[in-house]
Amino acid sequence: MQIVDMLNEKLMNLDLKAKDKASVIEELVDMLVNEGYALSKETLLKAVMEREATASTGVGMGIAIPHGKSNTVKKPSIVFGKSNTGIDFESLDEQPSYIFFLIAVPEDSASEHLKALSQLSRRLMNKDVREQLMKAENTEEVFKVFI
Amino acid sequence: MKLIAVTSCPTGIAHTYMAAEALENAAKEKGVAIKVETQGSVGVENELTEQDIAEAHAVIIAAGANVSKERFEGKAILEIAVSEAIKAPQAVIERALKLEKKDLQKKVEEIKKQRSEERTGAFKHLMTGVSFMLPLVVAGGLIIALSFIFGIEAFKEEGTLAAALMQIGGGSAFALMVPILAGYIAFSIADRPGLAPGLIGGALASQIGAGFIGGLIAGLIAGYTVAFLKKTIKLPKGLEGLMPILVLPLLSSLFVGLLMIYVIGIPVKGIMDVMTAWLQSLSGANALLFGALLGAMMAFDMGGPINKTAYTFAVGLLGANVFEPQAAVMAAGMTPPLGLALATVLYKNKFTKGEIEAGKAAWVMGISFITEGAIPFAAADPIRVIPSIMAGSAVAGALSMVFKVTLRAPHGGIFVLPIPNAVGNLGGYVVAIAVGTVVTALMAGLLKKKITE
Repeated sequence: MQIVDMLNEKLMNLDLKAKDKASVIEELVDMLVNEGYALSKETLLKAVMEREATASTGVGMGIAIPHGKSNTVKKPSIVFGKSNTGIDFESLDEQPSYIFFLIAVPEDSASEHLKALSQLSRRLMNKDVREQLMKAENTEEVFKVFI
Repeated sequence: MKLIAVTSCPTGIAHTYMAAEALENAAKEKGVAIKVETQGSVGVENELTEQDIAEAHAVIIAAGANVSKERFEGKAILEIAVSEAIKAPQAVIERALKLEKKDLQKKVEEIKKQRSEERTGAFKHLMTGVSFMLPLVVAGGLIIALSFIFGIEAFKEEGTLAAALMQIGGGSAFALMVPILAGYIAFSIADRPGLAPGLIGGALASQIGAGFIGGLIAGLIAGYTVAFLKKTIKLPKGLEGLMPILVLPLLSSLFVGLLMIYVIGIPVKGIMDVMTAWLQSLSGANALLFGALLGAMMAFDMGGPINKTAYTFAVGLLGANVFEPQAAVMAAGMTPPLGLALATVLYKNKFTKGEIEAGKAAWVMGISFITEGAIPFAAADPIRVIPSIMAGSAVAGALSMVFKVTLRAPHGGIFVLPIPNAVGNLGGYVVAIAVGTVVTALMAGLLKKKITE
């Protein structure tokens, strides 16, 4: 399974409205719930926030990858979001974050999904990948980055 | 050069892999080989093999969750937060590369630490006392040596600098030596309440002339007495506060003090006097045998209990103005790492690449009087290495005694040699150390087998 197989244009928002950390996470989680990938918004939010509490997933370089593991998630999924203004995500480099990947997985996920997700994490450490994502203006261009 | 790394994070979804990727990219840019094991949600991937670990110069552990370090025993390990690997992978790689050079020293330090943690019972308490006493002996011994710059009798002239130096070194530092030894032995046994009776018992040992052996005994008695009193005396709740401030110090000091004066002090003084006189009169064959014995003890377990026994004995005698055993002991403690370092240069085909590299650090440890520097070599091939270093140390100790070399500082290796008057018969000392080093090197070369690869 490839990263592209896990991407879904309905789970992409290239113009996030949120202005702070809590609301951007909520905005991303809402998309999952609205599309039926997660049952309970509260439960998923809690899982993601708990992970944030151990250490921010704002890894710097404009990227944040909030993630959560919970059985309220029906299948492993990736939500892509982009903020044009930048959001303070308490990042490691103390710079605002522009690119967001919310990763949600059920407690017992198949390893093929997890492998694809690990590939996504690795790809994001690549400068070209980050630059293309920053430039992407529509969902198609986001897909292209991972093809 | 090759590095290995393990990355892990709490959920094992993102950071594990980002850190792995970041480290791999940074290593690639620097032209360093790296293998990164990821312990994430998928389980362990790209697992490190035994061969990977053996070949690696250093291990980077970037983990928010705990990663077992057992596999990496003896390796230089750099532990960092997983976020650090993502944020500044280059710096992490650089730090890991630098670690590699300290490999042997680090190993030796770990061994020393482990050993001191493993010590139990009376031996541990004695070593605690000795460690608190040592700075006094170093300061006192060297300051007395400095006063001799003005002539060996110069301190007798009141008001001179030489007299002042003697007052600092002999009158104060050395006067505190035995009380501090006894006080901290008791402290180690019975915590704070042990200190007062220990100090008092030690001071009495000094006054009576029972020396460091009297101090050792006083410290042990004081410590165990306090421990016993603490357990047995039960005061009513309201009066408990009186225990540490009145009952314990009074009773234990009385007991230790009276025992020192009426029972223990005099016989121990007798033993000290006989021993001191015997040591001072030692010459020829007796000096040679005694030096060889001390030397062999220093090398036998390289910093272990037997080594420490010989060493403590010599340090204690400094307070009784017997300086020859200290010289023998330090020479014998320096030659094991020095001799093995020389052997790695002379017999390259009998040592592994790692050992030849470690030999460079062994030089430094040898001249610093860190006998433990020989342990990694001895651990790899004890049956051949330990006799070699014992022989070299026995020769060094024997020669040092025969040449009547004196040493007033209990530590410092080669670095105390230039201090005026710290060493008596410097030429003889250098010869003793050099010959001991060569003996160990030749014997190790003779005994060790060729490495077949």
